[in-house]
Amino acid sequence: MNENEYLREILKSQTLAPGSEELKTLQERRAEVEGLLREQFHESSPTIRYGGSKAKGTMIKEAYDLDIISYFPHDDTSAGETLEEIYNNVRDALSTKYYVESKPSSLRLKDADPSNYGVDFHIDVVPGRYTDNSKTDVFLYRSTGEKKRLKTNLDTHIRHIKESGLIEAIQLLKLWRVRNGLRVKHFALELLVIELLKGKRSWVLSRQLKHAWEQLRDNSETISIQDPANPTGNDLSELLNAGIRSELSSVSERTLQIIHDSGWEGVFGPVEENGEDDRGRRIDMLKGAAAGIATPTRPWFLP
Amino acid sequence: MKKHWHKLDPTLLERMKSEVQSVFSNLHFYPAKDRVFIRGSFPVIHEGKILDRYSIEIELPRNYPESLPIVREVGGRIPQTADRHINPTGEACLFLPDERWKVCHPGSSLLDFLNGPVRNFFVGQSLVELGQPWPFGEWSHASVGIIEYYAELLGTKDLATILRYLDYLSKPKIKGHWKCPCGSGRRLRNCHFEELKDLRTKVRQDDAQRSRQRLISLTKTLETVGGGE
Repeated sequence: MNENEYLREILKSQTLAPGSEELKTLQERRAEVEGLLREQFHESSPTIRYGGSKAKGTMIKEAYDLDIISYFPHDDTSAGETLEEIYNNVRDALSTKYYVESKPSSLRLKDADPSNYGVDFHIDVVPGRYTDNSKTDVFLYRSTGEKKRLKTNLDTHIRHIKESGLIEAIQLLKLWRVRNGLRVKHFALELLVIELLKGKRSWVLSRQLKHAWEQLRDNSETISIQDPANPTGNDLSELLNAGIRSELSSVSERTLQIIHDSGWEGVFGPVEENGEDDRGRRIDMLKGAAAGIATPTRPWFLP
Repeated sequence: MKKHWHKLDPTLLERMKSEVQSVFSNLHFYPAKDRVFIRGSFPVIHEGKILDRYSIEIELPRNYPESLPIVREVGGRIPQTADRHINPTGEACLFLPDERWKVCHPGSSLLDFLNGPVRNFFVGQSLVELGQPWPFGEWSHASVGIIEYYAELLGTKDLATILRYLDYLSKPKIKGHWKCPCGSGRRLRNCHFEELKDLRTKVRQDDAQRSRQRLISLTKTLETVGGGE
């Protein structure tokens, strides 16, 4: 298997099949969230649909974050007079069922059930208001930074990613991101990949990835990204602050070193089988791992 | 101002990093002002096969290795509940600090820590997620866990005896003419002196002090509850 065949096998192992448990769970949760929002804001009839990697086709097994956008009509005020009020009202509505973590423009949903408290559903709800009747551009509230309002367009984002011809490179770099604990946001990483691989869509995957890492290693301080839906209006510099740039640079350098020293498997590991894990087999293997432990420890808990 | 451990000897961090990354290539070191953060994915490997992966962050505090590393599961996969031994700030309670001599003895490395208690913890988490019990059991929460630990270590369930031992373990020095904490009434030198000296090389004074305080608070609470009946 050459390096590009290997990378394709990795991608295959990261594909979420239409009937997979993860997707089914996400779909059920989406229906639950939609039901809750429609009930709470029935006077406003918000537009509720998928955004994020689900809509862009960049979802992978190990990073399946789901964005659910909830956009209100431009002339509707029943969900809130201001963008901040809409954001807060949607948060309050979701808090009746979930543990909600506020993020700059979105609301991350986690389990509020005491026995499962804090488990991340990997769902971000993005509240906003359409700018006009055409229902294309939206204003989003932003809780951080100087500007408290972002103008953006989900369809432009989806088109930008889908038409980039770089979906596979994006997916692999998202896997690289999660495996290495990088804090760069998925959205910023997607834009970065497209920026770094401009004019390189015909290159084979391995060459694309190496090029992206070389650029991140050497030019992390100067690389910039723009919101395709509002290139001059939205300042994305916060998404690539000094700490994130430094992480990207040092991990890229190390990744290239690993490829040089031990090949691609050092980066993405062996190809793992994609399929429903045999529960019994998994338990046996884990029990085997436990049986081999020389110095056992027992967990404790201090509130 | 006193320099922090990773700045006093910059090669120390480099050596630590190189040792850890030779085994865990997806863990990356980020020195901050007075501490070091390690982030990435932690694989649960058995016989060369990756059985599971957890997104983690490890914080090496300003007085590391005096203080234990703080381990957090940051992927949002493990519930932040007592039964899963993750506190509300996401910190994992890998073991009782008093038993650190067993797994984090002086001279042991960060790699030993990862291969030991950290791996044990995540093997256990994967099993619990699949509906299995903790492979080596678990300590009860808070003070009750401390009692269980010392009951096992000292071979007695008597709280007063455990507290006397903890008192002696908390002191900077012990004297042979003192009463033995076992409750025999004999002098220490004629009873459990050697055993106690050995214990004092294992259980750290500060850990014993903290545990003693917790148990004293527990007994006071129990007395209050009992008195109110």
